[in-house]
Amino acid sequence: MPEARFDEVIHAPVRLRICGLLHPVDHLDFAVLRDTLNVSDATLSKHLRTLTTAEYVSSSKAASAGRDDARRITWVSLTRSGRSAFEAHVRALQEIAGVV
Amino acid sequence: METNSVKPSSTEASDALRTLSADREQLAAGVRVPWILLAAFGGVAAWWVSGAVSTSPGEDYAAPTSGWLGIVALLVVVYLIRRETGVRFRKMGARAGWAVAGIVAICLLLFSVSLGLVSFGLHWAVVLTSVLAFAATTWLAGLAYKSAVDQLHRA
Repeated sequence: MPEARFDEVIHAPVRLRICGLLHPVDHLDFAVLRDTLNVSDATLSKHLRTLTTAEYVSSSKAASAGRDDARRITWVSLTRSGRSAFEAHVRALQEIAGVV
Repeated sequence: METNSVKPSSTEASDALRTLSADREQLAAGVRVPWILLAAFGGVAAWWVSGAVSTSPGEDYAAPTSGWLGIVALLVVVYLIRRETGVRFRKMGARAGWAVAGIVAICLLLFSVSLGLVSFGLHWAVVLTSVLAFAATTWLAGLAYKSAVDQLHRA
Protein backbone atom coordinates (compact mmCIF):
# COMPACT_ATOMS: atom_id res chain seq x y z
CA MET A 1 0.00 0.00 0.00
CA PRO A 2 1.56 3.37 -1.01
CA GLU A 3 2.06 6.19 1.45
CA ALA A 4 -0.71 8.79 1.35
CA ARG A 5 0.24 11.87 -0.69
CA PHE A 6 -2.24 14.50 -1.82
CA ASP A 7 -1.51 15.40 -5.47
CA GLU A 8 -2.81 18.73 -6.75
CA VAL A 9 -2.36 17.77 -10.40
CA ILE A 10 -4.48 14.65 -10.02
CA HIS A 11 -7.10 16.08 -7.68
CA ALA A 12 -8.83 18.29 -10.28
CA PRO A 13 -12.16 16.41 -10.76
CA VAL A 14 -11.82 15.40 -14.40
CA ARG A 15 -8.16 14.41 -14.01
CA LEU A 16 -8.97 12.36 -10.92
CA ARG A 17 -11.66 10.55 -12.89
CA ILE A 18 -9.30 10.01 -15.87
CA CYS A 19 -6.72 8.42 -13.58
CA GLY A 20 -9.46 6.41 -11.85
CA LEU A 21 -10.54 4.91 -15.16
CA LEU A 22 -6.99 4.26 -16.39
CA HIS A 23 -5.89 2.64 -13.14
CA PRO A 24 -7.66 -0.73 -13.51
CA VAL A 25 -6.72 -1.17 -17.18
CA ASP A 26 -3.54 -1.42 -19.19
CA HIS A 27 -4.69 0.94 -21.96
CA LEU A 28 -7.97 2.66 -22.80
CA ASP A 29 -9.09 4.10 -26.10
CA PHE A 30 -9.49 7.90 -26.05
CA ALA A 31 -13.09 7.53 -27.31
CA VAL A 32 -14.02 5.09 -24.53
CA LEU A 33 -12.51 7.44 -21.95
CA ARG A 34 -14.38 10.43 -23.42
CA ASP A 35 -17.71 8.59 -23.53
CA THR A 36 -17.40 7.19 -20.01
CA LEU A 37 -16.53 10.61 -18.59
CA ASN A 38 -19.15 12.28 -20.80
CA VAL A 39 -16.85 15.18 -21.71
CA SER A 40 -15.89 16.75 -25.03
CA ASP A 41 -12.80 15.83 -27.03
CA ALA A 42 -11.31 19.24 -26.27
CA THR A 43 -11.85 18.95 -22.51
CA LEU A 44 -10.38 15.48 -22.38
CA SER A 45 -7.42 16.50 -24.54
CA LYS A 46 -6.70 19.47 -22.29
CA HIS A 47 -6.63 17.37 -19.13
CA LEU A 48 -4.63 14.60 -20.78
CA ARG A 49 -2.07 17.20 -21.83
CA THR A 50 -1.72 18.33 -18.21
CA LEU A 51 -1.32 14.74 -17.03
CA THR A 52 1.14 14.01 -19.83
CA THR A 53 3.20 17.07 -18.91
CA ALA A 54 3.34 15.75 -15.34
CA GLU A 55 4.47 12.41 -16.83
CA TYR A 56 1.47 10.66 -15.27
CA VAL A 57 -0.10 9.60 -18.58
CA SER A 58 1.23 8.44 -21.92
CA SER A 59 -0.56 7.95 -25.21
CA SER A 60 0.10 6.21 -28.49
CA LYS A 61 -1.74 6.04 -31.77
CA ALA A 62 -2.59 2.92 -33.76
CA ALA A 63 -4.15 2.46 -37.18
CA SER A 64 -7.86 1.72 -37.30
CA ALA A 65 -9.58 0.81 -40.55
CA GLY A 66 -13.03 0.85 -38.99
CA ARG A 67 -13.12 4.38 -37.61
CA ASP A 68 -13.54 7.74 -39.23
CA ASP A 69 -11.60 9.80 -36.65
CA ALA A 70 -8.55 10.12 -38.91
CA ARG A 71 -8.56 6.29 -38.97
CA ARG A 72 -6.55 6.17 -35.75
CA ILE A 73 -7.12 4.86 -32.24
CA THR A 74 -5.41 6.79 -29.48
CA TRP A 75 -4.49 4.48 -26.63
CA VAL A 76 -4.09 6.20 -23.26
CA SER A 77 -2.41 4.66 -20.21
CA LEU A 78 -1.07 5.60 -16.80
CA THR A 79 2.70 5.66 -16.52
CA ARG A 80 4.42 3.95 -13.61
CA SER A 81 4.79 7.29 -11.80
CA GLY A 82 1.18 8.18 -12.61
CA ARG A 83 -0.01 4.90 -11.14
CA SER A 84 1.99 5.47 -7.94
CA ALA A 85 0.82 9.08 -7.65
CA PHE A 86 -2.82 8.08 -8.15
CA GLU A 87 -2.62 5.29 -5.57
CA ALA A 88 -0.99 7.66 -3.07
CA HIS A 89 -3.64 10.29 -3.80
CA VAL A 90 -6.50 7.82 -3.28
CA ARG A 91 -4.86 6.80 -0.03
CA ALA A 92 -4.82 10.47 1.00
CA LEU A 93 -8.49 10.84 0.09
CA GLN A 94 -9.33 7.72 2.11
CA GLU A 95 -7.51 9.15 5.12
CA ILE A 96 -9.35 12.46 4.78
CA ALA A 97 -12.66 10.62 4.38
CA GLY A 98 -11.81 8.43 7.35
CA VAL A 99 -12.26 5.13 5.54
CA VAL A 100 -8.82 3.68 6.41
CA MET B 1 -5.73 24.72 -15.94
CA GLU B 2 -8.19 23.26 -13.50
CA THR B 3 -6.60 22.99 -10.06
CA ASN B 4 -7.87 22.39 -6.55
CA SER B 5 -5.24 23.96 -4.30
CA VAL B 6 -7.19 23.40 -1.06
CA LYS B 7 -7.43 19.93 0.40
CA PRO B 8 -10.98 18.59 0.34
CA SER B 9 -13.21 18.15 3.34
CA SER B 10 -14.13 14.69 4.56
CA THR B 11 -17.42 14.84 2.63
CA GLU B 12 -15.72 16.00 -0.58
CA ALA B 13 -13.13 13.24 -0.28
CA SER B 14 -15.90 10.66 0.20
CA ASP B 15 -17.74 12.06 -2.82
CA ALA B 16 -14.56 11.86 -4.93
CA LEU B 17 -14.03 8.22 -3.94
CA ARG B 18 -17.66 7.43 -4.72
CA THR B 19 -17.28 9.07 -8.15
CA LEU B 20 -14.26 6.88 -8.88
CA SER B 21 -16.29 3.75 -8.06
CA ALA B 22 -19.23 4.95 -10.16
CA ASP B 23 -16.92 5.63 -13.13
CA ARG B 24 -15.48 2.12 -12.92
CA GLU B 25 -18.99 0.69 -12.78
CA GLN B 26 -19.93 2.71 -15.84
CA LEU B 27 -16.81 1.63 -17.70
CA ALA B 28 -17.53 -2.03 -16.92
CA ALA B 29 -21.18 -1.60 -17.93
CA GLY B 30 -20.15 0.01 -21.21
CA VAL B 31 -17.84 -2.84 -22.23
CA ARG B 32 -19.94 -5.26 -24.26
CA VAL B 33 -18.77 -8.82 -24.78
CA PRO B 34 -17.60 -9.07 -28.42
CA TRP B 35 -19.30 -12.43 -29.09
CA ILE B 36 -18.59 -12.42 -32.83
CA LEU B 37 -14.86 -12.06 -32.22
CA LEU B 38 -14.98 -14.58 -29.38
CA ALA B 39 -16.65 -16.95 -31.84
CA ALA B 40 -13.60 -16.39 -34.03
CA PHE B 41 -11.57 -18.00 -31.22
CA GLY B 42 -13.98 -20.92 -31.47
CA GLY B 43 -13.47 -20.98 -35.22
CA VAL B 44 -9.71 -21.19 -34.81
CA ALA B 45 -10.12 -24.03 -32.29
CA ALA B 46 -12.49 -25.91 -34.62
CA TRP B 47 -10.10 -25.45 -37.54
CA TRP B 48 -7.18 -26.77 -35.47
CA VAL B 49 -9.14 -29.81 -34.26
CA SER B 50 -10.36 -30.53 -37.80
CA GLY B 51 -6.70 -30.59 -38.90
CA ALA B 52 -6.64 -34.16 -37.55
CA VAL B 53 -8.42 -35.26 -40.76
CA SER B 54 -5.36 -34.46 -42.87
CA THR B 55 -3.03 -36.56 -40.70
CA SER B 56 -2.16 -40.25 -40.79
CA PRO B 57 -2.31 -41.54 -37.21
CA GLY B 58 0.18 -44.33 -36.66
CA GLU B 59 3.91 -44.83 -37.13
CA ASP B 60 4.23 -42.25 -39.91
CA TYR B 61 2.19 -39.62 -38.04
CA ALA B 62 3.34 -36.06 -38.62
CA ALA B 63 1.75 -33.24 -36.61
CA PRO B 64 -0.14 -30.75 -38.81
CA THR B 65 1.60 -27.42 -39.35
CA SER B 66 -1.68 -25.59 -38.74
CA GLY B 67 -0.69 -25.05 -35.10
CA TRP B 68 1.54 -22.08 -35.90
CA LEU B 69 -1.05 -20.55 -38.17
CA GLY B 70 -3.58 -21.01 -35.37
CA ILE B 71 -1.39 -19.04 -32.95
CA VAL B 72 -1.07 -16.23 -35.49
CA ALA B 73 -4.85 -16.27 -35.98
CA LEU B 74 -5.37 -16.08 -32.19
CA LEU B 75 -3.08 -13.04 -31.95
CA VAL B 76 -5.01 -11.35 -34.77
CA VAL B 77 -8.31 -11.99 -32.95
CA VAL B 78 -6.87 -10.57 -29.69
CA TYR B 79 -5.78 -7.46 -31.60
CA LEU B 80 -9.25 -7.11 -33.16
CA ILE B 81 -10.99 -7.50 -29.78
CA ARG B 82 -8.86 -4.73 -28.27
CA ARG B 83 -9.57 -2.47 -31.24
CA GLU B 84 -13.28 -3.23 -31.16
CA THR B 85 -13.77 -2.67 -27.42
CA GLY B 86 -11.15 0.05 -26.85
CA VAL B 87 -9.98 -1.66 -23.67
CA ARG B 88 -6.72 -3.46 -22.99
CA PHE B 89 -7.17 -5.25 -19.67
CA ARG B 90 -4.48 -5.16 -17.03
CA LYS B 91 -5.73 -8.23 -15.17
CA MET B 92 -7.96 -11.00 -16.47
CA GLY B 93 -8.66 -12.67 -13.14
CA ALA B 94 -8.34 -16.27 -11.91
CA ARG B 95 -11.57 -17.32 -13.63
CA ALA B 96 -10.06 -16.29 -16.98
CA GLY B 97 -6.95 -18.34 -16.24
CA TRP B 98 -9.09 -21.42 -15.58
CA ALA B 99 -11.12 -20.75 -18.72
CA VAL B 100 -7.98 -20.54 -20.89
CA ALA B 101 -6.61 -23.72 -19.28
CA GLY B 102 -9.96 -25.34 -20.02
CA ILE B 103 -9.79 -24.28 -23.67
CA VAL B 104 -6.31 -25.77 -24.05
CA ALA B 105 -7.29 -29.02 -22.30
CA ILE B 106 -10.53 -29.45 -24.25
CA CYS B 107 -8.88 -28.72 -27.61
CA LEU B 108 -6.05 -31.19 -26.90
CA LEU B 109 -8.58 -33.81 -25.81
CA LEU B 110 -10.79 -33.26 -28.86
CA PHE B 111 -7.76 -33.33 -31.17
CA SER B 112 -6.71 -36.67 -29.64
CA VAL B 113 -10.25 -38.01 -30.02
CA SER B 114 -10.24 -36.80 -33.64
CA LEU B 115 -6.98 -38.66 -34.32
CA GLY B 116 -8.58 -41.77 -32.87
CA LEU B 117 -11.63 -41.34 -35.09
CA VAL B 118 -9.44 -40.84 -38.17
CA SER B 119 -7.42 -43.96 -37.31
CA PHE B 120 -10.70 -45.94 -37.35
CA GLY B 121 -11.60 -44.41 -40.72
CA LEU B 122 -14.37 -42.26 -39.21
CA HIS B 123 -13.22 -39.05 -40.89
CA TRP B 124 -16.75 -37.65 -40.99
CA ALA B 125 -17.01 -37.78 -37.18
CA VAL B 126 -14.31 -35.11 -36.89
CA VAL B 127 -17.08 -32.66 -37.79
CA LEU B 128 -18.61 -33.42 -34.39
CA THR B 129 -15.37 -32.88 -32.45
CA SER B 130 -14.78 -29.65 -34.40
CA VAL B 131 -18.26 -28.37 -33.54
CA LEU B 132 -17.65 -29.28 -29.88
CA ALA B 133 -14.31 -27.40 -29.98
CA PHE B 134 -16.04 -24.36 -31.47
CA ALA B 135 -18.81 -24.33 -28.88
CA ALA B 136 -16.59 -25.00 -25.86
CA THR B 137 -13.95 -22.46 -26.89
CA THR B 138 -16.47 -19.72 -27.64
CA TRP B 139 -18.25 -20.28 -24.33
CA LEU B 140 -15.03 -20.41 -22.29
CA ALA B 141 -13.62 -17.35 -24.08
CA GLY B 142 -16.82 -15.53 -23.10
CA LEU B 143 -16.29 -16.57 -19.47
CA ALA B 144 -12.70 -15.33 -19.62
CA TYR B 145 -13.79 -11.99 -21.07
CA LYS B 146 -16.50 -11.53 -18.43
CA SER B 147 -13.91 -12.32 -15.77
CA ALA B 148 -11.70 -9.53 -17.15
CA VAL B 149 -14.64 -7.11 -17.09
CA ASP B 150 -15.36 -8.10 -13.48
CA GLN B 151 -11.80 -7.10 -12.61
CA LEU B 152 -12.71 -3.51 -13.48
CA HIS B 153 -15.14 -3.47 -10.53
CA ARG B 154 -12.58 -4.86 -8.12
CA ALA B 155 -9.69 -2.55 -9.05
